[in-house]
Amino acid sequence: METIWLYQFRLIVIGDSTVGKSCLIRRFTEGRFAQVSDPTVGVDFFSRLVEIEPGKRIKLQIWDTAGQERFRSITRAYYRNSVGGLLLFDITNRRSFQNVHNWVEEAQSHVQPHSIIFLLVGHKCDLEAQRQVTQQEAEKLAGAYGMRYVETSARDAINVEKAFVDLTRTIFEQVRCGDIKIQDGWEGVKSGFVPNTVHSSEEVTKGSRQCYC
Amino acid sequence: MSIPSGSPERENSGGGVPQLECPSSPPSFGLDPDPLSTGSPVISPDSSSHDAVLSAPAASPADSENLSPDELELLAKLEEQNRLLEADSKSMRSMSGSRRNSGSSLVSSSSASSNLSHLEEDTWILWGRIVNEWEEWRRKKDKLLKELIRKGIPHHFRAIVWQLLGNATDMPVKNQYSELLKMSSPCEKLIRRDIARTYPEHEFFKGQDSLGQEVLFNVMKAYSLVDREVGYCQGSAFIVGLLLMQMPEEEAFCVFVRLMQEYRLRELFKPSMAELGLCIYQFEYLLQEQLPELNIHFRSQSFHTSMYASSWFLTLFLTFLPLPVATRIFDIFMYEGLEIIFRVGLAILQYNQTDLIQLDMEGMSQHFQKVIPHQFDSCPDKLILRAYQIKYNPKRMKKLEKEYTTIKNKEMEEQIEIKRLRTENRLLKQRIETLEKESAALADRLIQGQVTRAQEAEENYVIKRELAVVRQQCSSASENLEKAQDTIRELQQQRYTEQFVSSLQTQLEQSKLQEAELLGALKEMQDKVLDLEKRNSCLPNENNMVALQEEVKQVKLRELETLRSFRELQDTVTELNQRWQVAHKLLSTGGGGGHWKESPKKNAMNELQDKLMTVRLREAQAQAELREIKLKALQLESQNQIHSKLISRHEQERSALQDRLQMFTNQNKALQAQLNEMKRKQAEFDCKSKEEVMAVRLREADSMATMAELRQKIAELEIQKEEGRIQGQLNHSDSRQYITQLRDQIAELKNEVCPASAEGDYLSSDEDLLPSPLPPSALYPALSSPCHPSARLDSEGSTDSEAEERVRTHPDPQQLYGTMVCAEALDN
Repeated sequence: METIWLYQFRLIVIGDSTVGKSCLIRRFTEGRFAQVSDPTVGVDFFSRLVEIEPGKRIKLQIWDTAGQERFRSITRAYYRNSVGGLLLFDITNRRSFQNVHNWVEEAQSHVQPHSIIFLLVGHKCDLEAQRQVTQQEAEKLAGAYGMRYVETSARDAINVEKAFVDLTRTIFEQVRCGDIKIQDGWEGVKSGFVPNTVHSSEEVTKGSRQCYC
Repeated sequence: MSIPSGSPERENSGGGVPQLECPSSPPSFGLDPDPLSTGSPVISPDSSSHDAVLSAPAASPADSENLSPDELELLAKLEEQNRLLEADSKSMRSMSGSRRNSGSSLVSSSSASSNLSHLEEDTWILWGRIVNEWEEWRRKKDKLLKELIRKGIPHHFRAIVWQLLGNATDMPVKNQYSELLKMSSPCEKLIRRDIARTYPEHEFFKGQDSLGQEVLFNVMKAYSLVDREVGYCQGSAFIVGLLLMQMPEEEAFCVFVRLMQEYRLRELFKPSMAELGLCIYQFEYLLQEQLPELNIHFRSQSFHTSMYASSWFLTLFLTFLPLPVATRIFDIFMYEGLEIIFRVGLAILQYNQTDLIQLDMEGMSQHFQKVIPHQFDSCPDKLILRAYQIKYNPKRMKKLEKEYTTIKNKEMEEQIEIKRLRTENRLLKQRIETLEKESAALADRLIQGQVTRAQEAEENYVIKRELAVVRQQCSSASENLEKAQDTIRELQQQRYTEQFVSSLQTQLEQSKLQEAELLGALKEMQDKVLDLEKRNSCLPNENNMVALQEEVKQVKLRELETLRSFRELQDTVTELNQRWQVAHKLLSTGGGGGHWKESPKKNAMNELQDKLMTVRLREAQAQAELREIKLKALQLESQNQIHSKLISRHEQERSALQDRLQMFTNQNKALQAQLNEMKRKQAEFDCKSKEEVMAVRLREADSMATMAELRQKIAELEIQKEEGRIQGQLNHSDSRQYITQLRDQIAELKNEVCPASAEGDYLSSDEDLLPSPLPPSALYPALSSPCHPSARLDSEGSTDSEAEERVRTHPDPQQLYGTMVCAEALDN
C-alpha cells in the first residue's frame, strides 16, 4: 500500500435513526453532503486517513450502523472491535438526546472486556432555529459519561473534521501512553506500516518513554 | 455495452440436446412465426415430470435440457426481447416509475424498434395468456412459467403477475385498508422520516409531497397497524416502494402483506431479526462451501458477512443493485422466494472473487460500494444465469436452519441459563450476605457465651471455695456441736446443788447493790459537777461586771441603811447610857439611903454592877464603833476593789492602745519602705528621661542636618527652575515688563516670606517632636518660599542686565542659601 499510517483505529458511529450518522461520515470521508441518503440497513463501512501531527497519519476505519433498534442484533457485533465511537444525537430531536443513555448502555454491555472512547456529537447544528437540546445540557450529559462534546453539521461542514480528529487524537494519546494496548484478536487498534526505520525507532522510543511515566 | 455472454451460451449449449430428449411435449399453443426465430413456435406445457429436476441445484442447464425445441425457441426470443426491453426500460425508467405511465411507455417502447415490436407482441400475447389462464399455468406449465419469469416479466405485466404469484388478488385485508389509513400508528414518525429517503432519486418518489411518498407512507402505516409485532422496519419501505411503482396502493399493500406472511420477510423484519441471522448463517455456509478461498480472505480481513449481506436480504438487492437489475431479481423472488437472494449473492461474490481476494478491507468495501452494483447494469441476464449456476441444496439449507435454530436455541438457553445463573448467583450472594451476617452474629454470641462461661467458671470457683469454707465451718460447727453435746452430757451428768445456786443469787444481789451504789455515787458526782458548773458560771467575769457593780451599789445602800440603823442604835444606846447614868445617880443619891441601908457589900456590889454596866456599855459602844470601822474598812475595800478593777480595765485599754500603736508603727515602717522604693524609682526614671532627652537631642541634630541637606536641594531646584524660567523669558522681547512682573512677584513673595518662615519654624519645631523626619514634600512648600526672595533679590540688582548674567549669578543664591540654612540650623 502506498498510504502509510502509524496506527489504524476502528471507530463506530451510533445513535438514533435519522440523526445523520451516514451523512456525517460521508461528509468526513467523501467531503460531500447528500440531501437524502438511504437508511442504513445493517452496517456500512468507510475509511479515511487523518494526519494528527505532521508526518503522523492515522487510518480510521469507520463503521456506520443502522439506528433502528431492531438492527442492534447486527450492529452489536461491531462494538467489540472498536476503539472509539461517535455517539450522535440530533439537536433538533429531543428524543434522540434522551436515547443517548440507552446507546451508552448498549455499547457498554457489548464492548466487554474492552472499552470504547466515545465522543458525544450534537448533529445538525446548522438548524439552530429548530434546536431542542441546549449545548449546556448536552455538555453536562457528556461530562456525566466522561465524554467530550462537539456540535457538528454535515450540511455546512461545521466541526466534522474536528470531531473525528479530536477523537483520533484522544485515542492516539492513550495508545501512546499505553492505556490502550494493541492486542491479538482485537481490531480496535492496529499498528501500521512505517516506511522510515529511523523515524519508526524514534516513534518507538518515544512511545516507550511515554509508557514508563 | 458488452455482449451478454450468458444468453448465447445457453442457447448454444442447450440448443440440440432438449430436442432429443423431449420429443413428446405436446404443443399447447402456438406463437406467430417470427423472423428471428429459428425453431418451432410451439411451446410445450410444463410437464410434472420436470419438477424433480427443477429443484436440483443446477437448475438452468437442467431446465433447458428438458425443454422442447419450441419452448427453447421461445425462450431465446424472450431473452433477446428482454435484453432489448431492459435497454429500453432504462430510458423509460426515469419517467415511467408509476403504472400510470405504462400506457405511454408502451407506445414509446413499441415504437422504439420495429424488430422489437414483434417480439414484444409475442411476449405480451404469451403473458396475456398466462395471466388469463393463470390457474392452468400454475398447475400444468409451472416449469415454463418459472423459466419465463427468470427471463423477466414484461414491465406492464408485473403488477398482475406479482399479485398472482403472491396470491394477493383477493385478500380480505384489502377491505380494511381504507380503515387502516384513518388510524394512527406508533411508528408513524419513524416511517415519515424514512419516506423521503426511499428511492429519493426516483421520479415517482421525488419531492416532499409527491404522490409516491404519500402512498408509500400510507402502505407502511397500514402494515404497521396490521402487524403490530413487526410494526415498521427500515428497509421494508424499498420493497413497498417497488410494488408501488407497479400497482395501486391497495394492491401493493396486499402483495406486501403476502410477502411478509409467506416469503419469510416477516421473520426477517421482526424486532429480533432472527431470520436475518439465519440467512447470514446459511449464506456463510454456502460461501465456505463454494468459495472457500474468498471466505478465508474475508475472515483474515475480518470482513463480516453481515457487513454486505444484511442489506441484500433485507431489501432484496433493491438498495444494492440498480433498480432494473433488482427488479429482475424481484420477479424471481416473487416466484421462488429467498433462494434467489442466496444465489445472486453468491454469484456476485463468485464473479468478483479474484478482485476481492487482492483487496484489503477498505478496498473490498469500496469494491462493494462502487464497482459491484454496476457490474450487471447492461446484462442482468448474466447475473441471473450465474445465479442459477450456483449450487443450492434446499435440503441442506433446511438442515442448516435446524442447526442454526439449535445453535440459537442453545445460545438462548445459555442466555437464559446465564440469566438464571446470574439471578441465582445474586440470590446466593444475598444468601451469603445474610449467612455472613448470621455467622457474624453467631460469632458475637459465641464470644459472649465464652465470656459468660469464663465469668461463670470464675463464679463457680468462688462458690466452690465458699462451699469449702462453709464445709469447713460446717465441720467445725459439727465438732462444736459435738463438744457442746459432750458438755451437755457432762453437765447433765453433774448435779448442781441448790447451795451453789443460792450463792450465785446472793452474788448477783450483791453485784446489783454495788451497781446501785455506784450509780448513786455517779449521780452525786454528776450533781457535783453540775453544781460546780453552776458555780463556775456564777463566778464573776467580764460579762456580769455590771451586774456585780449594781449588786455592790445595792450592798452599799444596805450598808448605809445598816449604818444609819446602827447610829440610831448608838443613839439609843447613848440615850440609854445617859438615862442609866442619870438613873444611877438618882439611885446613888436617892437610893443611897436605901443603899446605905443595905450592907456595904451590897453597896460595893452595886457599885461594881454599875461599873460593869458602864463597861458593858462602853464595850457595846466600842463594839459599835468597831463595827462602824469594819464597815468603813469593808467600804474602803470594796472601793479599793472597784478602783483596782478600773485600773485593770484601764490597763487593758492601755495594752490595746499599745497594740494599735505597734501596728501603726509597723504600717508606718512599711510605708516608709515604699516611699524609699518610690524614691529609687523616681531616680531611675529621671536617669532614663535624661537619656531620652539626650537621644532626642541627637536625633534632633540628625534631622537638622537632613533638613539642611533638603534645603540645599530645594535651593538647587529653585535655581534650576529660575534658570529655566529665565531662559524662557529670553524669548520675550519685552524684558522690562517681565522684570516688573518679577518685581511684583518678589513683593508678593516677600509678603509671603514672613508667614512662611513662621510656618517653617513651626514645622521645624514640629519635626523636633517627631521621631522621624517629615517627608520632604511636606516641608517643600514652606521651605521653598524663603529661597524665592533670596534668588529674586539677587536678580533684582541686575534688572537691566541680560538673562545670561542672571544665569551667571545663580551660584550666589546657592551660597547665600547655604549660609541661611546653616543659620537656621543653628537656630534650631
